[in-house]
Amino acid sequence: MQKYISQQNLNTLLDTLIASGTRVVAPRMNAGTPLYEPLTSSAEMVMDQLPRRSAKEAYFPVCEDIMTYEKEGQKVSISDIDPARFPETVLVGVRPCDACAIPVLDAVFSWDYKDEFFLERRRKTTIVGLACTIADDACFCTAVGLSPADTKGSDLFLTPLEGGGYACESYSDKGEALINNHNSLFNDPNSAASLPLAQPYMEKFDLKKVKAWLDEHFEDPSWDAIALRCVGCGACAFVCPACHCFDIVDEGTEKAGKRRKNWDACGFWKFTHHASGHNPRNQQPKRYRNRIMHKFKYYDDKFGQTLCTGCGRCIRVCPVGIDIAQIVEEISKKLE
Amino acid sequence: MSDHTNKNIYLPYLATVEEVIDETPDVRTLKLVFQDEQVRENFTFRAGQFAEYSAFGAGESTFCIASSPTRKGFIECCFRSVGRVTEALRRLEVGDTMGVRGPYGNSFPIEEFFGKNLLFVTGGIALPPLRTLIWNCLDWRDKFGDITIVYGARTESDLVYKRELQEWQERTDVRLVKTVDPGGNGPEWDGKVGFVPTVLEEAAPAADNTIALVCGPPIMIKFTLPVLEKLGFSDDQVYTTLENRMKCGLGKCGRCNVGNVYVCKDGPVFTARQVKAMPLEF
Repeated sequence: MQKYISQQNLNTLLDTLIASGTRVVAPRMNAGTPLYEPLTSSAEMVMDQLPRRSAKEAYFPVCEDIMTYEKEGQKVSISDIDPARFPETVLVGVRPCDACAIPVLDAVFSWDYKDEFFLERRRKTTIVGLACTIADDACFCTAVGLSPADTKGSDLFLTPLEGGGYACESYSDKGEALINNHNSLFNDPNSAASLPLAQPYMEKFDLKKVKAWLDEHFEDPSWDAIALRCVGCGACAFVCPACHCFDIVDEGTEKAGKRRKNWDACGFWKFTHHASGHNPRNQQPKRYRNRIMHKFKYYDDKFGQTLCTGCGRCIRVCPVGIDIAQIVEEISKKLE
Repeated sequence: MSDHTNKNIYLPYLATVEEVIDETPDVRTLKLVFQDEQVRENFTFRAGQFAEYSAFGAGESTFCIASSPTRKGFIECCFRSVGRVTEALRRLEVGDTMGVRGPYGNSFPIEEFFGKNLLFVTGGIALPPLRTLIWNCLDWRDKFGDITIVYGARTESDLVYKRELQEWQERTDVRLVKTVDPGGNGPEWDGKVGFVPTVLEEAAPAADNTIALVCGPPIMIKFTLPVLEKLGFSDDQVYTTLENRMKCGLGKCGRCNVGNVYVCKDGPVFTARQVKAMPLEF
């Protein structure tokens, strides 16, 4: 379904949703930093800035309670967390590099055992994507085969138009429902041209060639050159829309507390550290190799998808200037 | 008992500690009985599978299920106290409650071993992952040919399941070759002195129609596989069980992989052929 919505009506839509108790998450400024966060009013929304962190935390929280426990004498009682309590959410202004990661993550959380914490939040979240009109030096979505107008993962997709407002198109029942439930705010599509889309400078990688090299070069001297400088801070994983590794920890006392699923990162030395003291990835380049392998080989081997959308966030935050786009570009040329 | 419905896959079963057995000064066995009657009756597993055991307030740890699936009504785990969770598990007393998630992972294809000789090669705290299979096979004794167990530890006191070693030694249908590292033997020691690979080579079990089941620290595996090869074992005749650090046990949390192999889902049981195809990341 194709429609048009003015900026004013989009704001009205969000305010109506907020008033009805729906959680509306969109880019907003937090102490000078654009982040995807719950809005209290549409006025807070900023559409012209790239959020510093990905939209992932709206449906895969940094910390998530998975049960609580209480001890009395020798008995322990545990309580399940009811996914029904997860809020209906509309995630608005999602950049394609964020939205495209969502169906990619569906694969790992729904294969074999189903992670209802992830899946129920996903069911309850409507993704309103936004065609991207801003790119900086770190952006490389086009290099991994996506684009600033990619609609994958979006239920409804907004394209900003010359003269204001957005062309909108629905890509799922959820997107259609959002239009139908607020029909008066949407108009028929018009012929206005879209604003110029962002143009990430990097050329498209041949991901098949990247994988072909990775298939054969687990051991390779270039891993040291690539990542000896990595300090293992894990920031790259925490801003990434596609990193999904997590830890399970108890927080509380022996008497009472909760068990939580917390984001983790393969860059941390402790991530694979055995009780015996043995660590299969005992040096930082081995840990960084796992990051590249997981994104461009292992996830492809297992689910036929790439675990990177070219958002460039890890490049922007890396304290030692590791540039994943440059690394993958170089790998793609190794077999030439 | 894989639960694939829309339930909380991270929720453990509650189990009562029924017995505490100290195997060595720092290795302990817990015998556990599920508190829920239905779980108690329906919980089934196969030798080789693992579980996530929790001490509430400290967290979860991954160990194999060390008891045999032929012994019903309880399960056992065996662990060394080395960290926060295992120290907390060690503080549990008889009657206390702990959590168990599982069983997870693949298992030993025991049916494929019917009619064959079995050679178990293991060291130290790595006996528990094979002990489940050893008892499974001993309980189905007539389905197998010769059973040989080569087991070593650094010192006599580091040998786990000492009472069972005694039992295996006394049985006529099992050949137990036990050893301790040089210097690890006391005056009463009636076993061999030497490292597991060396002792294995001396014991020279026949490879013909034999399956070798190997579990041990990486260094033991490294030196044992060439010995087995020398004895005539092919890579398909040798099985091992890998134990990487895990959290979820369900193929999601992303840490137990060796290359693109997820130990929790694709393993933990692998043939030597499969292990040799993996990158050196375990």
